[in-house]
Amino acid sequence: MSQRDLVAELRASRITSPDQVRERVRLIAAADTRPPRRFTARRALVIALPVAAALAAAIVFTQPRHQAQEQRVAHGEVAAPATALQAQTDSGAAKLAPITPAPPAGRVVNYDAFLSLRVPTSNEISNAVKRALHVAASLGGYPTSVHAETKAKRGTADLTLKIPRQHVQEAVTRLSALGTITAEQVDLQDLQAGINATNREIARLQKQLAALRAEPQTPLTERKIAALTARIASLQRGTADTRRTAHYATVNLHLATPSTAAHATHHGPLHGLGVALRWIGIAAVYVLALGLPALLLVAVGWLAVRTIRRRRENALLSRA
Amino acid sequence: MTFAQAAEEHLDDVYGYLAWFTGDRAAADDLAGETFERALRLWHRFDPKRGSARTWLFQVARTTALDHFRSERRRTRREQLAAVPERYEERFPDGLAADLQAALGALTAGEREVVALRVVLDIDASSAARILGISPTNVTTRLNRALKKLEEALHVAA
Repeated sequence: MSQRDLVAELRASRITSPDQVRERVRLIAAADTRPPRRFTARRALVIALPVAAALAAAIVFTQPRHQAQEQRVAHGEVAAPATALQAQTDSGAAKLAPITPAPPAGRVVNYDAFLSLRVPTSNEISNAVKRALHVAASLGGYPTSVHAETKAKRGTADLTLKIPRQHVQEAVTRLSALGTITAEQVDLQDLQAGINATNREIARLQKQLAALRAEPQTPLTERKIAALTARIASLQRGTADTRRTAHYATVNLHLATPSTAAHATHHGPLHGLGVALRWIGIAAVYVLALGLPALLLVAVGWLAVRTIRRRRENALLSRA
Repeated sequence: MTFAQAAEEHLDDVYGYLAWFTGDRAAADDLAGETFERALRLWHRFDPKRGSARTWLFQVARTTALDHFRSERRRTRREQLAAVPERYEERFPDGLAADLQAALGALTAGEREVVALRVVLDIDASSAARILGISPTNVTTRLNRALKKLEEALHVAA
């Protein structure tokens, strides 16, 4: 018998199922009353994936604003309390008003003020410096140090101004108009008590001096008179210096353009996408670094299991 | 296509496959019922895009038959009859020549299976490969080997 005849004979010998088997299968099929499943794993994925993507996007898009504020604190651009206030002024919710307590009348005080202002551009820095110097000069004051620096879009300037004490309030008010106040500080130190004590000491020494002058003049008496006179003169010079120094208030002015972190709060519409892509890239690197070896292991395991299963199956079928 | 329609349409093929595979009509009777019970349980997993219902039912039938073979092997071991393997009561289709029946009896289950799928049930190589879990080339090789073996057995008988 040729192979063709053999195949023909085999094809002609199809088996039909017995009636009892057909009946049994019909009964089994009749039990299929379940409706087709509407919620399959694939459909669940179709819903779950966009929801997960939307959640991830929401997290990413809401992240940068907080991050920018954290960066600003981390950079220590200004003191912590002022940073909080700066954040408020950024959003326009609140603006700082200059704090300028009036110096107490009739008393000698040391008046120090610090003012930090934000100006919009680096070009505005030099304008603000000129105007600050003009304010100081117009009020009878003068600068003791000026430092300005601009680089690309960023710039800072630090000025130390001496302003007559009676005009310090006006000076701070006019200087604060040069930009947006981001931080300020005022220190008042009363010097009057020290001056009063020095005056009492001078009066006591002058009494001693008068008594010595009334005595017969000997070389010893003359030396004492000379020493007391020098001491009194020294104390009087000190008092005069203190009064002269206190005549001027020191105003430290810091001008700065918005920091990089502040810029970060005004990103374009695609910034969030960029951040998301960056994090996706980082995650992809981690997944590749950690997932690839794991995937290889799984693949090798799967191949081994399949090979073993096939060998067992072949062995089983070769016996039967 | 509903399960009932698929069962009605392909019952004979599945039954024939099981009869050829096991070489035992009585076992094929039981296995056909088990196959369709199992198929009913798994029917929600059937995807028409990945293959025909006929191919899928053959895959289920094959799994059922392999389970049957495994349980038979365990049973024979348990009964300590492994030294003398129990032969199925081989009953191939009526009308086959006696020498062909004898030659078929000499084939292994794996060889009978590929003959049943490719020759008797006329399933194409790629579908047969999917059912058997091997490549189409392997299917062809296995079929040629089985047919050659049959041919040789018939020559010897002649």
